[in-house]
Amino acid sequence: MDVMDVMDAIPADGLSFAMPLLIMAIGGIYCERGGVLMLALEGLQGFGAFTGALSVVLCLPLLGAGSPCLVYIAMAGAMIGGMSFSLLHALLCVRFKAQQVISGMVINTLAMALTTFLTSVVNEALTSQVSNRFQIGASERFTLPILSRIPIFGGFFRNMYPFELVILAVAFVSWHVLYKTRFGLRLRACGENPHSLDAAGGNVGRTRVIAIMICGALAGLGGIFVAYSVSANFSPSIYMGYGYMAIAAMIFGNWKISPTFAVCMFFGLTKSAGYQICLWLGMTSNYTDLLLVIPYVVTLVLLVFFSKRNQPPRALGDPFDKGKR
Amino acid sequence: MASSEYIVEFRGVTKKFPGITANDDISIGIRRGEIFALLGENGAGKSTLMSMLYGMYEPDAGDIFIRGERVALSSPSAATALGIGMVHQHFRLVPSYTIAENIVLGMEPVKKAAELFPYVDIGAASKRIRDLSKTYGLEVDPALRIEQVGVSTQQRVEILKMLYRDAEILIFDEPTSVLTPREIEFLMDVMRGLRESGRTIVLITHKLEEIKSIADRVAVLRRGKLAAILPASASAQEMADLTVGRPVSLSPSSSSLRARFRDVVLQVENLSVRGENGLDAVKGVSFSIRGGEIFAIAGVSGNGQIELADAIAGLVPPCGGRILLNGRNVTSDGVGRRTEAGVSYIPEDRQRYGLVLDFTVAENLAIKKYRRAPYSKSGILNRSAFRTEAEAMIARYDIRASGGAGTIARFMSGGNQQKTIIARELSTDSSLMIFVQPTRGLDVGAIENIHRRMLGERDKGRAILLVSLELDEVMGLADTIGVLYGGRLLKIFPADRTTVGEVGEYMMGAAS
Repeated sequence: MDVMDVMDAIPADGLSFAMPLLIMAIGGIYCERGGVLMLALEGLQGFGAFTGALSVVLCLPLLGAGSPCLVYIAMAGAMIGGMSFSLLHALLCVRFKAQQVISGMVINTLAMALTTFLTSVVNEALTSQVSNRFQIGASERFTLPILSRIPIFGGFFRNMYPFELVILAVAFVSWHVLYKTRFGLRLRACGENPHSLDAAGGNVGRTRVIAIMICGALAGLGGIFVAYSVSANFSPSIYMGYGYMAIAAMIFGNWKISPTFAVCMFFGLTKSAGYQICLWLGMTSNYTDLLLVIPYVVTLVLLVFFSKRNQPPRALGDPFDKGKR
Repeated sequence: MASSEYIVEFRGVTKKFPGITANDDISIGIRRGEIFALLGENGAGKSTLMSMLYGMYEPDAGDIFIRGERVALSSPSAATALGIGMVHQHFRLVPSYTIAENIVLGMEPVKKAAELFPYVDIGAASKRIRDLSKTYGLEVDPALRIEQVGVSTQQRVEILKMLYRDAEILIFDEPTSVLTPREIEFLMDVMRGLRESGRTIVLITHKLEEIKSIADRVAVLRRGKLAAILPASASAQEMADLTVGRPVSLSPSSSSLRARFRDVVLQVENLSVRGENGLDAVKGVSFSIRGGEIFAIAGVSGNGQIELADAIAGLVPPCGGRILLNGRNVTSDGVGRRTEAGVSYIPEDRQRYGLVLDFTVAENLAIKKYRRAPYSKSGILNRSAFRTEAEAMIARYDIRASGGAGTIARFMSGGNQQKTIIARELSTDSSLMIFVQPTRGLDVGAIENIHRRMLGERDKGRAILLVSLELDEVMGLADTIGVLYGGRLLKIFPADRTTVGEVGEYMMGAAS
């Protein structure tokens, strides 16, 4: 294998791995900056991927394969699905002031069981075949004209998935929303001291529910992007820990968007680099697996050094209770 | 309605919480442009009444009239729209936000960048905040973050928050409880300025001298009921008696016995303690306390008092010097061993260090002796022993808890929380008791109760170390007064051979 191919593949694969992580982590940032623990990213992304894939499968007979509309239908379906499923978290955490860790775990477990079951049922109804996966194919890749010729960094702009640009746009808009707008100011106040917002005439419950819904929509988008690119189908294998890695990226990124972006890129690039090096050296799969562990080990070590300076939102995980002294 | 004489009027307002009637049929009229004080013990219903005016609770019965019109105050934003603002006792600020962001929160001026992206216009807000701070003498830098500024500046931010919203009726909930004497004077000036600008101020307090110095009228609440409305020119004694519901003594020095000193209990030699900032907060302090003696440390806040008390209690290790208890060197002992050696500690922050707020009264009372029989046996707690003991202590120390021994500490008033701590600390048979700001934030009735207890324990022969910022308290209780200034013990006086003026001068460091 040529060294140039490897150098090309590392950034492209790294980006396609990092970007879905980033959008899920941004969803988590919305939610946790608002003071609600978000451990349900795994379940939300899976459910979003399911509804997205389901929309594609249902529309396929009408539009025909290869229709450019399918991508948008998948995205819309995933956002609506993730958002609706996140309402369960909102109901439990905001309305009933439940323990937020439990609520997150319930959503993860429920999403996995529910989507697997529903996929089989739908497949049986549509094709009379028992299968737990929706085949949706992978979206087209493209190469950005000028940027891709930059030495070294050009690799990032070759063989891109369209969704990667969508996610970068979401990241920019989210930064503006969180730090510059009225909603962002109120949202972060909910996470730091909800009593301040309440006394200033804001509505803590409503702000938090909106944050949870944004989180659900973004996590759903993340899920469908994974399904639409790397795996090219929806199946229970979508639950392979992306949501948890996104949580790690968010915490490591100190609940801020730019550091979280850097962490996601680090995860993505180390993963693709490890994989490519294994391929290049022609190692057996045992060693490949070992090498792929490296990014997580590095993360653990770095966390030891950085976590002291980390500052989670002060009111994170506390249900808002007006009367509490 | 011909009641427009009043800008705010409560008519027959009642508010019930589970198990308690916080406000019972209260009718009060507040005139435009006056400073109206609400006086009452902790738990008398002052804050509840004002929370209803600020829309945080709705009354169960009765009506509230603003400017002569009956209003439904369903939320703080409804109250804000009617020109009502409130400075809460515990500030409602976001520590990581700038002062400007905290002030605009909930009323953000929004602009659009490129006609598309809305954003909060902090620049315009900061300009308005600067103008307001100039007008009312409330100096702040809008760009600083709340966590970078002190408590008195945070309070200014809360006041500016109300002014930014053009509030005309300003509610202050115990605004001086967190301030030093000088800051209190400053606040009083600000409040006078606000009254001059035509605003109406409601001041919730339990300090009589504040009412005497700035209020125009005062309403006294007692156990949820309106006891009386008086002009502020009424005597302090009358106000105090109405607050408590029986004649109280306002000056603490009413011990029947003269102090009879016994052997030295605590001896502190050349003690130095490092503060949180890494500098020496206590520098080479030496003194001793005898049994039957109240030794009071006077001083302005932040001169090393807390560090000194913590070091003697064993919470922080000293960086030099020795502490002898009944002749035994305890300098290197931890809190547990000092407790056994006979040290009781009533800390300043009673909610953080004195109690486990979510435990019951019985559990809090047993927290220093649960390891011994009969409270536990072979590692198994004996709950009924907790309860029996707690019920006896509740009766003996007059702790008022709605659910008896099973009441969660968080739901008790500050005075009763303090009584619980004092009951626990007195019930151990210790020879030295350390009281840090024991009456801070308490009402006259509770203060009197605690002062009486301290004098009683002194007369039983215990040594008492009192750290207090209230000079009146120091002068009234102490047998010996030490003045701490800049971490040094400037002077030790026998209390009967000094005056308030002299102690005050040493407190300012002038006499050095």
